[in-house]
Amino acid sequence: MTLRPIEPAPLLKSILLLGTVLSLLIIAPAALADETATGTLTVTLEGVKTKTGAVMLSLSGTPESYDGKAPDAGQAMVPAINDVVTTTFTGLPPGRYAIKAFHDVNGDGKMGSNPFGMPTEPFAFSNNAHGVMGPAKWDAAAFEVKVGDNTHTIAID
Amino acid sequence: MNRRNLLQSLSGVALASVLTPELAQAKAQLHRASGFDWRVGFAGLDADVAPTAMRRISGRAPVDLAGSLYRNGPGKFHRPGGSVDHWFDGDGLMRSFRVTEGEATLTARFVDTPKRRTDTAANAVVTPGFGTAAKPGARVESNDDTNGANISVLPVGNEVWALWEAGSAFAMDAKTLETKGMKTLRPDLAHVPFLAHPRVDANGDVWSLGVSNNKALVWRLARDGALKSADIVDLPMASYIHDFTASERYLILILQPWVQDRNVLPFVDSLSWHPEQGTKILVLDKNDLSRRRVFELPAFFAFHYGDAWEEADGTLRFDGCVSVNPSFAINNGRNIMKGTWTPEPSPILTMFVLSPNGKARMDATTISAEFPRNNQRLAGSARRYTAHATGDGGGGPLFNGLATHDWKTGKSDAYDLGPSHLMEEAVFVPRPAGTDELDGWLLAPSVNLLARATELHVFDARRVAAGPICTWRADVVLPVSLHGAFVPA
Repeated sequence: MTLRPIEPAPLLKSILLLGTVLSLLIIAPAALADETATGTLTVTLEGVKTKTGAVMLSLSGTPESYDGKAPDAGQAMVPAINDVVTTTFTGLPPGRYAIKAFHDVNGDGKMGSNPFGMPTEPFAFSNNAHGVMGPAKWDAAAFEVKVGDNTHTIAID
Repeated sequence: MNRRNLLQSLSGVALASVLTPELAQAKAQLHRASGFDWRVGFAGLDADVAPTAMRRISGRAPVDLAGSLYRNGPGKFHRPGGSVDHWFDGDGLMRSFRVTEGEATLTARFVDTPKRRTDTAANAVVTPGFGTAAKPGARVESNDDTNGANISVLPVGNEVWALWEAGSAFAMDAKTLETKGMKTLRPDLAHVPFLAHPRVDANGDVWSLGVSNNKALVWRLARDGALKSADIVDLPMASYIHDFTASERYLILILQPWVQDRNVLPFVDSLSWHPEQGTKILVLDKNDLSRRRVFELPAFFAFHYGDAWEEADGTLRFDGCVSVNPSFAINNGRNIMKGTWTPEPSPILTMFVLSPNGKARMDATTISAEFPRNNQRLAGSARRYTAHATGDGGGGPLFNGLATHDWKTGKSDAYDLGPSHLMEEAVFVPRPAGTDELDGWLLAPSVNLLARATELHVFDARRVAAGPICTWRADVVLPVSLHGAFVPA
């Protein structure tokens, strides 16, 4: 996933006026930051077993975002065509980030669950963190993104 | 009379009849002094047991007895960094006792579960369970990450499935006992629980349940393991369900008032005993699960039931082993792992009668009983006998004897192995050419506490009191197992 280059101020203004909170968060940090002071994050997902559907990622830059109480810092949908797939987020202000990922094996755009609400499709968190009867906690999943190139690898499936 | 005989006679006669906690303690001490320490049966096993010839120590095996007795039960409890807190949380250990041409071979392998891998990597029991709390390093992203695969076994083709009650089955190779992996019967039903006590119809269909709060998923499988249907039914009340029963036409779910009303770990701490709610029995028509009846009974607790049958007038009957409350599961299941035991009354063999007029009743015997089994050829149809473990150890957990109960005459045909043995569940094996209900054998292992060995006993099901007609021994203590199934050669 790549963010758009910085647009002229009038367009940014109209996006800010019209846009959703999500687009605000995606655009604003890159737009407001000095481009040279941002990071690029390449995420590698290893161990994709079933080559159908896509791996869905959401990138959070705050605990609130990670807990679903604020918008994501980025999202990506990567076709699950190989054992290893990658995606890149650019223009990230340096700081701590965490990723939630799931493999949408049946391609319905949702994380599948059984009739009792237990997830049925593979999922994973950055740092390969694990939860206890719930998602891994922010503190366990958060990692540092620095200015320049960053890489992070997650095992899924 | 030597010292051991004296102790045996003391414990068998004088003490067993009037067991107070003090006497039970004294009895346990006597047993330990004489080498009978029940803890031997719960010490745990470190590693798999490669195929080992068992030594025949008495009698002779029937020539037409041939096949494999598979048994499952918790087998490893302790790791350097921490142990399980409850007997039910040990790693599943699958055993096969293969009997052929008068000889017996024992093999035992642990089920390769995510829980076992996590705990092995941590060098400590960190995974939460029925009665064990989560420790740092636990990895629990679904119920199957806590799956012990440690209660029972369902033979399916060339596999045996290790069953737990709150997660998926694990398939193992029937010959090598190598774990093949977790069974997902349909992708959208991954991780739905599959109870450890499936009921197998005379036509081979396998019924089981997955229970969550006041809903149950009813599994129906062909005998080859293929999924035939999976339907959700609403339960009249939430309940801890370990077992259910079935007649030819009906599924019978016994909803005891042990109810999950808190979201805490371990699981047993999330359940509350509500005797004021009573027990509800849900009867479902196998061919149309929307056709249902509900019967009511006072509160009681039971782990296990026998197969049900329907009489000509529509009356449903089944037996169960009934306690006043779930204190074993709450307290003694934990005590055992600490090496202590609080004496409590044994479950009592009880007949349940569900009448066409909507009334239900329980006809209790006075017989101490657990692990009821019956001739599977008669599953779902009228029968006369129940085989069960009996004669509680008094000073320690579980049982020392085996019996068949005749529901027609009310008589028991029982044999007591004595306090040096922990008797396990007996599986009825019909004689290949037999047709009568008891024409066959009862196969049951015991832990010999004195010899520190595992024994396999064959009883003539029609003459239990005569004692085993054949016993083999292996010089390794396999922890007491829970449930088994026999596959003829």
